[in-house]
Amino acid sequence: MQTTIQLIVNNTPCEATVDTRTLLVDFLRDQLDLTGTHLGCATGNCGACTVMLDGLTVKACTILAADVAGSTVTTIEGWTQDARQSGDLHPIQAAFVKHHALQCGFCTPGMVLSVQQLLKEKPHPTEAEIRHGIAGNLCRCTGYASIVKAVQEIATTTSLSPGGRGLG
Amino acid sequence: MAYIGSAVSGILDTKLVAGKGQYTADVSLPDMGHMAVVRSPYAHARILSIDTSAARQHPGVRIVATGAEIKQWSKPIPHTLNPSAFGGKTADIYCLAIDRVHYVGTPVAAVVADTRHAATEAANLIEVEYADLPVVIDAERALEPDSPLLYPEWETNELMHVRFQGGDVERAFADADHILDDTLRLHRHTATPLEPRAALAHYDDRAERLTLWVSTQAPHPLRTTLANTLQMDENDIQVIQPQVGGAFGVKIPTYQEDPLACLLSKRTGKPVKWIEERTEHLMAGGHAREQTLKFSVACKADGTVTGLKVRIIGDVGALAAVGGWGMSYVASFVVPGPYKIPNCEVDLSIVVTNKGPWNAYRGFGKEAASFLMDRVMDRVADTVQMDRAAVRLKNFVPKDEFPYVQISGATLDSGDYVKALQDVMDKAGYHTFAEEQQRLRAQGRYIGMGVGFELTPEGGCIPDSFIGGYEGATVRVSPSGQVTVLTGVTSPGSGNETGIAQIVADALGVPLSTVRVVQGDTQACPYGLGNWSSRSLFMGGSASLYAAREVHHKVLRVAASMLEAVPEDLNCEQGRIRVKGQADREVAFNDVAEYVHKRAFDHHAFDMEPGLESTRYFRMGNIHHVPDDKGRINTYPSYPYAACVAVVEVDVETGVITLLRYVTVHDCGTVINPLLVEGQFQGAVAQGLGGLIYEQLSYDDNGQLQTGTFMDYTLPTAVEVPSVEIHHQEVPSPYTPLGTKGAGESGVSSPFGTIVSAVENALAPFGVKIHDTPLTPQRVWRMIQTAKNGNNGGAKA
Ligand code: FES
Ligand code: FES
Repeated sequence: MQTTIQLIVNNTPCEATVDTRTLLVDFLRDQLDLTGTHLGCATGNCGACTVMLDGLTVKACTILAADVAGSTVTTIEGWTQDARQSGDLHPIQAAFVKHHALQCGFCTPGMVLSVQQLLKEKPHPTEAEIRHGIAGNLCRCTGYASIVKAVQEIATTTSLSPGGRGLG
Repeated sequence: MAYIGSAVSGILDTKLVAGKGQYTADVSLPDMGHMAVVRSPYAHARILSIDTSAARQHPGVRIVATGAEIKQWSKPIPHTLNPSAFGGKTADIYCLAIDRVHYVGTPVAAVVADTRHAATEAANLIEVEYADLPVVIDAERALEPDSPLLYPEWETNELMHVRFQGGDVERAFADADHILDDTLRLHRHTATPLEPRAALAHYDDRAERLTLWVSTQAPHPLRTTLANTLQMDENDIQVIQPQVGGAFGVKIPTYQEDPLACLLSKRTGKPVKWIEERTEHLMAGGHAREQTLKFSVACKADGTVTGLKVRIIGDVGALAAVGGWGMSYVASFVVPGPYKIPNCEVDLSIVVTNKGPWNAYRGFGKEAASFLMDRVMDRVADTVQMDRAAVRLKNFVPKDEFPYVQISGATLDSGDYVKALQDVMDKAGYHTFAEEQQRLRAQGRYIGMGVGFELTPEGGCIPDSFIGGYEGATVRVSPSGQVTVLTGVTSPGSGNETGIAQIVADALGVPLSTVRVVQGDTQACPYGLGNWSSRSLFMGGSASLYAAREVHHKVLRVAASMLEAVPEDLNCEQGRIRVKGQADREVAFNDVAEYVHKRAFDHHAFDMEPGLESTRYFRMGNIHHVPDDKGRINTYPSYPYAACVAVVEVDVETGVITLLRYVTVHDCGTVINPLLVEGQFQGAVAQGLGGLIYEQLSYDDNGQLQTGTFMDYTLPTAVEVPSVEIHHQEVPSPYTPLGTKGAGESGVSSPFGTIVSAVENALAPFGVKIHDTPLTPQRVWRMIQTAKNGNNGGAKA
């Protein structure tokens, strides 16, 4: 069965016809060509499909596209665009690069979005809080140490001035 | 040297961190069809009939294939490693099962349809009638004479029997002060990279050419294999490796789905895409590790090990073409690892069972040898009542005895094992740990420290296979001075493209940002064997170095003529070529590059071969395939190693183990980039830890996989994996131009022996002895209960 949905994806209003069985992750990837959102398990365990739905991170393989009608979805592409000023990387992304907090990069977009959610909630997390904050995102490559290091650095060097650039 | 040795960030990281990496699943073509594979729900059965009529009529279906068609359309897939070349049995593996299935997940039919939904629906309409056969899932049972047989024509389930022997073992046992025996069991688990396997095949009917985008580690061998299977000219096939989302070995070989997608594209004349589901991966993507390791060791009262007998039974699941059984062979090849035990014999049976086929996984059997030798040393230490580290120090191959030939022919290249272990003990506070342990024990907390040592032979080179000890690279400088490096090695996320760029930038004296590394395209790159066995940097990097030096030589020759100097007096840094000591006499690298391309007949370049491009191959000088006087060959050229200390806490009420610290001194020779090497090591330890404690592919008695999703096959998260304390000991390899050894695989083996040793140490008050993995809470809890009840024989879950 097909249904038509209207929603905002990466600041752009869009209307699309989807099969009612289509997962949000597949809709984003296959119909909107937003391939920065990855599919690692389709069971909600790996976090590679993490996107923001109405401002909160969700696993896009656990949600049907038909169910997000009327919502706002932000993917890594949109978030990177928003976060950029004059073409630079967002501080979270810059810290990931500096500490090589990625190897194959497959988990990375989801991981970055989970980190921004964590830092929004807890600007100065302890190591344990960082580890729990990203526990929903599996990384098979790095063993997490470099990710933790990157987040620790952002948490101590970046100020979250209200109304400023911040980490949103 | 500007870049070698420095912690440069990955050159792809900026792109990947923004979600701009293009993985195979991200590649799309107009009008592509989607492939779904029908897999056997039985572990062992004969296929009586397959009814595809309903599937063929399903809307959107383009083609349906079963084994019958596949056998007409294609040849068997050449084995990555053919067991028959090692005196073993073999079988033909086609893209789909022909008349018999040997494990749950065996591919039996395939559908291509307009959409993924339609393909899945049609796959569900295919009716396969099976006659089930008796199942054997235990390797020791499979060796019994009355066991069901997977391949009746073999008249046995033993795929291969191997023996390595050296010295006078019986004499050593006769003269021993102590003889001890034990049986260890490693459980089945797998690499399972986060990106599933994927392929997009496009047969272009007009050009009569096939292009395959595929998540692979070895594009060139894959192309050769496809040509064979599909009966096409190699020239008509292009294999492209997009960004790969992790591989760890499982993406080395040609899988059945690769030629399958190609065939179905050829038959339909349209592109075919296949993306593996996680469940398919866990069932059929390739398993590893499950082995029984029996040993009998003879030692002196002072802890000197004088003799060792090892019996390994490798449970490699059903036979596939992917060559994973080779891991059990390597396990036996590596014994006795870093130790000098001249009187030694290893007896190996590689056995097929009705479980998923083995496929390469980081460690490739070395982890089994490492676990075995760590347990041997711990047992000897406990028996002679010596410190566990002291026994290792006593038995290591001394640093002045390299190259050292083990009984299998493994020729250890270089190192200082004693110093590595002593250093790691110092760094980890080995000598003062007991006080802390006592203090916490008084509070009812159980912490423990263990030592371990992994030897990780790298760059494997097996006769008559594409597992080879050489690599090729091209270095090309454009008229504007931009540098392209084309390599035969690939990077599935392991970072060698950055290391290779560093090597080439230094060799040419140009900024790193001007170097672009191109990998994974058979149309562009020199023939190479791909990424595995930590070979990419020390072989691919060495080939790149040779090519860059050749180009550099030409650049300097032209520059010398321009500057009225001799090449020996010039040096080139950051793209400026200067006469040494004379700052004003310089010419830009870019200007020389332009000159060579545009003025080949002018006086600075007329007497030189035009062009700034070189392709060079590098081969390891210490591999030999001609048997020595004892019949031994050496199949590994590089022997990095790591000495490790682990600190754990065990909750004796729940059996939960927490890894508190993991400290290592690691030698991979010259370190080109510490950031990358440490990242690899950390990731490898996480996989070793995951394998030891959290991950298990478990089967019921009918051969049904019980852990087929990430809900039950549990990978470690950031909460479980501590940050490893990594220290480098750089003993350069004498066999590579920069002294590099293999890096990348190391770290995955040592957690088995090191953490097990630490857990035993923590649970010493109960007298727990560990023989089997995994160390799940339930099993550890049971070990504690069993030991408390006076039996320390380990526990079976
Ligand atoms: S793909 Fe959604 S959590 Fe794994
Ligand atoms: S970088 Fe490969 S899965 Fe995280």
